[in-house]
Amino acid sequence: MIVDGHVHIGKSTRLQIAVDGEMLIRAADTLGIDKICCTDLTALFYDMHEGNRLLYVEMQKFPDRILGYASLHSTRFGQAALDEIKRCRHDYGMHGLKIYSTPEMSIAESAMIPILELCSELKMPILAHTTPQECEFLLSAVPDVQFIMAHAGGQPFAHGDWNRAIMAAQRFPNLYLDTACSTVDTAFVENCVATLGAERIIFGTDMPLLDPWPQLIKALETSFSEADRRLIMGGNILRLMGVKA
Amino acid sequence: MIYDANAFIGKWPYWPVWSSTPEEVTSELRKWSIDRAAICSTRSVFVNWEDGNLETEAAICKQPDRLTGFACLGTLELSHALPQHSYRVADYLARGFQGVRLYPQHHSYHPLYQSFVDTILEEAASLGCPVLLPLRIIMNWGMPTLDLSVMEGLVNRHPRVVWILSGINYLHELQLAIALMRKLPTVHLETSCVMGYAAVVKLVQQCGAQQILFGSGAPIQHGAASLSKILQASISESDREAILSSNLCRLLKNG
Repeated sequence: MIVDGHVHIGKSTRLQIAVDGEMLIRAADTLGIDKICCTDLTALFYDMHEGNRLLYVEMQKFPDRILGYASLHSTRFGQAALDEIKRCRHDYGMHGLKIYSTPEMSIAESAMIPILELCSELKMPILAHTTPQECEFLLSAVPDVQFIMAHAGGQPFAHGDWNRAIMAAQRFPNLYLDTACSTVDTAFVENCVATLGAERIIFGTDMPLLDPWPQLIKALETSFSEADRRLIMGGNILRLMGVKA
Repeated sequence: MIYDANAFIGKWPYWPVWSSTPEEVTSELRKWSIDRAAICSTRSVFVNWEDGNLETEAAICKQPDRLTGFACLGTLELSHALPQHSYRVADYLARGFQGVRLYPQHHSYHPLYQSFVDTILEEAASLGCPVLLPLRIIMNWGMPTLDLSVMEGLVNRHPRVVWILSGINYLHELQLAIALMRKLPTVHLETSCVMGYAAVVKLVQQCGAQQILFGSGAPIQHGAASLSKILQASISESDREAILSSNLCRLLKNG
């Protein structure tokens, strides 16, 4: 079974995306991907309530194919954000949290701590668009939260530095690395696995922003054992989300 | 045949890469079913451009059926204590190179304000010698980038040059490449850093396949992953073949 741990749904003019569940499932079928873990772009960048509700509607259309990340567009909504996470977990059946960090408004701040604590309590892994340094700050504060560094450093704000991401993950056993990124360096995925072990690496495509084929091939065209491949390609994210295969 | 428009020999200074010698690189390319590649040495980018060109020259002499050399031209060292290097493109063609690469972001010059760049480009245009101009060397956000407006300015200043734009990723970067290709038939795009969703299909729809060249960024980037963008794209087989091989053969006149 292949599970894509990093997929976007909804609309964003900035990212030039406008997709619904049907389009994503059609793409997943072409790629041989069984389940996709989605975050709604409206929730991620504009209105958490509206966006997460939209994702829930899409999840209901494809209950066996779409797993939901609740998304927050900011750490700074206090109790409303915490209530939204609980709603997404209990009412919408979402299994993780997605949040985005920028240099202008980094999530590495005290307002994020209650969110981390709640996700730890609810056993929701957090997929966060963060730098290695931000991960280190956050995991030092709440070490038992399951934290996935989106793009494994392979994003502009982290300067594409996946080596630094691996170093951060070496320090924090609950820090996982997501393979989705513009980087297709030869050594990237294999170095992640060699250093951290396959159980810490999560396959993702970041579709429909990125072309999913290079993302799939860079994770599949490797020398991993079949057991390691199963973990990377879906076992790990399902385990973190508490979802049975 | 699969012909890669953008590969490298030489060492990679930022992290360990498994292949660096010409033999290792061609072996790795073969593993990914890439038959032939246009290369330059990373020594040209990171150490000294002419020293790197000597490595590239040696590699293409040794494996002429697998490797095509692009000469990397850059600035002179400040003291001028070393012998003056030649900017004559004809000299490089005579040595067996078939194209030129410029890496201003790694060689500390502004290509719109250094006269040697115009000298090179005017001669390259008159000789029909392709010039590869990268926005970034590989698709990694930490690599130095050329300002998009500089790329645009240089292409517009020298529209007769056979350009190979490189290092283009997605969104506004791709839009600029598309605009330049639609405006000038001399402009081409190699795909090693193109990562956007269905980007290759979009390129073919908007520009046709004739100006698109497969590039891998190997051995630093994953050859099979780079190739998959072309192999899996919903385009006609004739367009795919053009991108994978015949377009570059046509540009290099060695098809």
